[in-house]
Amino acid sequence: MSIVKLDQPGKSVLMMGNEAIARGAIEAGVDFCAAYPGTPSSEVPESLASVAEHFGLYVEWSTNEMVAAEAAAAASLSGLRAIVAMKQNGVNVCSDFLMTVNLSGTKGGLVFVAADDPSAISSSNEQDSRNFARFADLPLLEPATFQEAKDMTKWAFELSESVGLPCILRSVTRLSHSRGNVKLGEIAERGRSARFEGVYIAGAFVSAQHSALHQKLEKAREEFEGSEFNWYVGPEEAAFVIVTSGSGWFYSREAVAALGLDGQVGILKLGTTWPLPERFIIDHLKQATEILVVEEVDPFLEQNIKVLLAEQTKTLGPIEVYGARTGHLPGFGEINQDRVAKALASIRGLEYRTRDEAYAKKANELALPSLPPRMPTFCAGCPHRASMWAIKAALKLDGRNGFATGDIGCYALGAGPAGFFQLKTIHCMGAGTGLASGFGKLGQFGFDQPVIAVCGDSTFFHAAIPGLINARFNSSNMLMVVLDNGGTAMTGFQPHPSSGCDALGRPAPVVEIEEVCKAIGVEVRVRDPFEVDQAIEDLYDMLQNDGAKVMVFRRRCYLVESKEKGKKRVFVDSEKCIGDDCGCARFCSRVFNCPGIIWDAEAGKAMIDEVVCTGCGVCATLCPSGAIIVEGG
Amino acid sequence: MEVGKGSLDLEKEVLNEGLCTSCGACVDICPYIKVVKDRVAVIEPCGIAEGKCYDFCPRTPTDIAALDRRIFGKEHSDSALGSYISIEMAQARDSEVRRRAQYGGVVSALLKYTMDLGEIGAAMLTRPFDGGLMPASMLAEESSQVLECAGSNYIASATLSGLNKVMKQPRDAVGVVGLPCQILALRKMQASKHETGAKGVKLVIGLFCTWALSYKGFYEFLRGKLDPSLIKRLDIPPPPANILVVDTEAGTIEFPLDEIRGFVKPTCGICFDMTSEFADISVGMVEGVEDWNTVVVRTAEAERLFEKAKADGIIETRPLEEARLGHLREASLLKKKRAISEIVKRTGDERALLYLRLSDAERSKFL
Repeated sequence: MSIVKLDQPGKSVLMMGNEAIARGAIEAGVDFCAAYPGTPSSEVPESLASVAEHFGLYVEWSTNEMVAAEAAAAASLSGLRAIVAMKQNGVNVCSDFLMTVNLSGTKGGLVFVAADDPSAISSSNEQDSRNFARFADLPLLEPATFQEAKDMTKWAFELSESVGLPCILRSVTRLSHSRGNVKLGEIAERGRSARFEGVYIAGAFVSAQHSALHQKLEKAREEFEGSEFNWYVGPEEAAFVIVTSGSGWFYSREAVAALGLDGQVGILKLGTTWPLPERFIIDHLKQATEILVVEEVDPFLEQNIKVLLAEQTKTLGPIEVYGARTGHLPGFGEINQDRVAKALASIRGLEYRTRDEAYAKKANELALPSLPPRMPTFCAGCPHRASMWAIKAALKLDGRNGFATGDIGCYALGAGPAGFFQLKTIHCMGAGTGLASGFGKLGQFGFDQPVIAVCGDSTFFHAAIPGLINARFNSSNMLMVVLDNGGTAMTGFQPHPSSGCDALGRPAPVVEIEEVCKAIGVEVRVRDPFEVDQAIEDLYDMLQNDGAKVMVFRRRCYLVESKEKGKKRVFVDSEKCIGDDCGCARFCSRVFNCPGIIWDAEAGKAMIDEVVCTGCGVCATLCPSGAIIVEGG
Repeated sequence: MEVGKGSLDLEKEVLNEGLCTSCGACVDICPYIKVVKDRVAVIEPCGIAEGKCYDFCPRTPTDIAALDRRIFGKEHSDSALGSYISIEMAQARDSEVRRRAQYGGVVSALLKYTMDLGEIGAAMLTRPFDGGLMPASMLAEESSQVLECAGSNYIASATLSGLNKVMKQPRDAVGVVGLPCQILALRKMQASKHETGAKGVKLVIGLFCTWALSYKGFYEFLRGKLDPSLIKRLDIPPPPANILVVDTEAGTIEFPLDEIRGFVKPTCGICFDMTSEFADISVGMVEGVEDWNTVVVRTAEAERLFEKAKADGIIETRPLEEARLGHLREASLLKKKRAISEIVKRTGDERALLYLRLSDAERSKFL
């Protein structure tokens, strides 16, 4: 049974941060959820989808974050409560809507969950989405604990309704993806019905709307002044105060304890960080002469606090502010207890060592040589490996120094050894297609290299279609390769418009990628990348033709395929394997390099690692000696 | 024995220099070298220092005299036409064969006959138009399939890659029909210390060739003027016509040869062999005689088969007139001289003749 729907108020349960957010929405009686998958946000909609039928919610995977935000806003404008979840890059995608829905305002509670990924553990950047709250004049909440993740989400709906604006709830990877105790609350009675009335037009009397927006924000500030999510711990009249939010709370508390500073350093923990609860902050900094601001990633809080202190110089007197601007904290990457403790120790002139240096040295000496270097790679059986090989071969055969542009998905690994270093650009969703459209128009400047835009199936629907239409419209010479593995694989194989099922796993209409391409008017071919030679030949052929073209490499993610259909046993006939000899030179384990294939150096033969192998069998088609056998063919 | 080289050397010395003949000898022996249309590329270095690919290539150094000794038991005495036993005019008696063939139908008739006799079990051939302009290799396992491959296509095809693929299941008594560069590669394969399926090839029929066209340029040229998928036959009639005739389902179009020459593969300019000098038997056109072939019988085995085919009424022959033989010799010598001069132009050194390892005496004849 899903923990999210557990109807036992007061019970303490272990919850992932994203589950706690989903539970908070359930306790608030959320009706509608729309999202595009993105690490570390995806478990919010997934948790809601798992209880959607139980509670009568509507949950959808949308084609992108902008559409998700708009769809959820429709529910809000009709009086329902709605939630949208996205990773930090998704906030950019929906920012155009954010910057206008703030002016039109909303009706039913509308919460945008922005899950940031400091240190970009699964992202192409580590942007700090909190800046969007200030940019769009929207209320911002930052949960610091798992309990807050739930409670703040619930409150965010109420706040949204009381000020008539969407609220941004900002999480980070360490909160979204780790687990902690959460005391459950009551599940709200439900039964709203949707009805649209009124007018929500941004752009009519914009300055007046903007002014009204500032007033709404002021109202949010008033609510924040008394919020239970802001608190102070430490000595009554501490001269040194850590001001922190979000993940910084735990790190700060641990750092203070580690340095034995409990009696000297206060911690002002803020949960409502835009607009700042100014009076609350001023009250708690009256005795302070020094503050350290602890936050991830940008010095967002730090700068806003500095503005406040500058305004309050007469009341508060001079206060020294430490943080990213003074170099005590990085202003990039994840922080942790150690970084905060080092900052504190350096400011306070204390000795701080995480561990004995001699011990650290010895540990490194022992550990490092025994850890084999491991490059990130495609999973065993991943069709992208064969696709990237086909791209490499076709470009090499073409011989005009062609290259490939990429974007966001599992296939971004194509920039590294897993994809034979084929992708030469990676930016945001759909960027490879737009770039290719541009490269393909440089002929008049002497550009003669063919260009391949590599994009995933989900990315195709998310952001690549306008780039393709642009290429078609402007007669750009580019070849788009859609790696169609049947789902949004990198985030957990969520369905997309051509997957044939919806967020609840029910059958859904299929939007065929090739039909979209045909309608755009480009040449389109669909091939199986596991038929490698055919794939190479077709790619080569298409590279010779002018204009925009699309190759769809269709082969289901083999992790999913083998789980659903069982895996075939694959093994090496060591009699036939020619190993290091001319004619092979360990192609399967050295070059194609599927993790399911091992080189038995002693025997001089390849071996299949039956635990890792998914049974896809593509290696059998590539083996020059027919030495790899797939049981049952 | 000289130390061999590997795929990186092949790439550097042959592919990057535009000297690849697209014969296919280096393809389908490993996963690293691929061919699409007539483009061959080393996709990834294999790291092997001494490889089959370099060893088999008709444009890597070749000891001509050693090949001669291996095939013919002695070095050739004729500088223009290589080793041979006899040269005659010939044609297939079967008019259906002649109708489908480019000229006299000798290649098709001889192959069909040899297969029917059971002397060879299969033949690696080239289908001139494989659903488009590009020819493709085809293994004929029944004599009835031979005619599907009758006729010329002036684009080089990687026929030997087809042989490599088929020979992964070793078989013997296979016949091969090829262009001079393909025949040279095939002979290098047979002479190689490496394991190769070419050792099961029993009958080698070579075609005369002056040059071949690059697919891409020629295709793009034709595409602007006709639908290449409708092509039925290409022909370059003997001089002084100086035209390429393209028969399509939608009619016949002639192009001046000068418009086509730009698409000739650069490697043809350094080719030393017009008459497939290393074949068992070589077959080409007879200038000015439409449905006859010139046949150069080179090995005893080929002589035995050819004589038997004559005796069984499969092939009819006539003596080749002295004047015609003279023209043939002249044309072949001209190709050799041009090749040597082109090579010297490339290397800037009269002793460094790229792939040709000729004796000093031999070399001096052409300089």
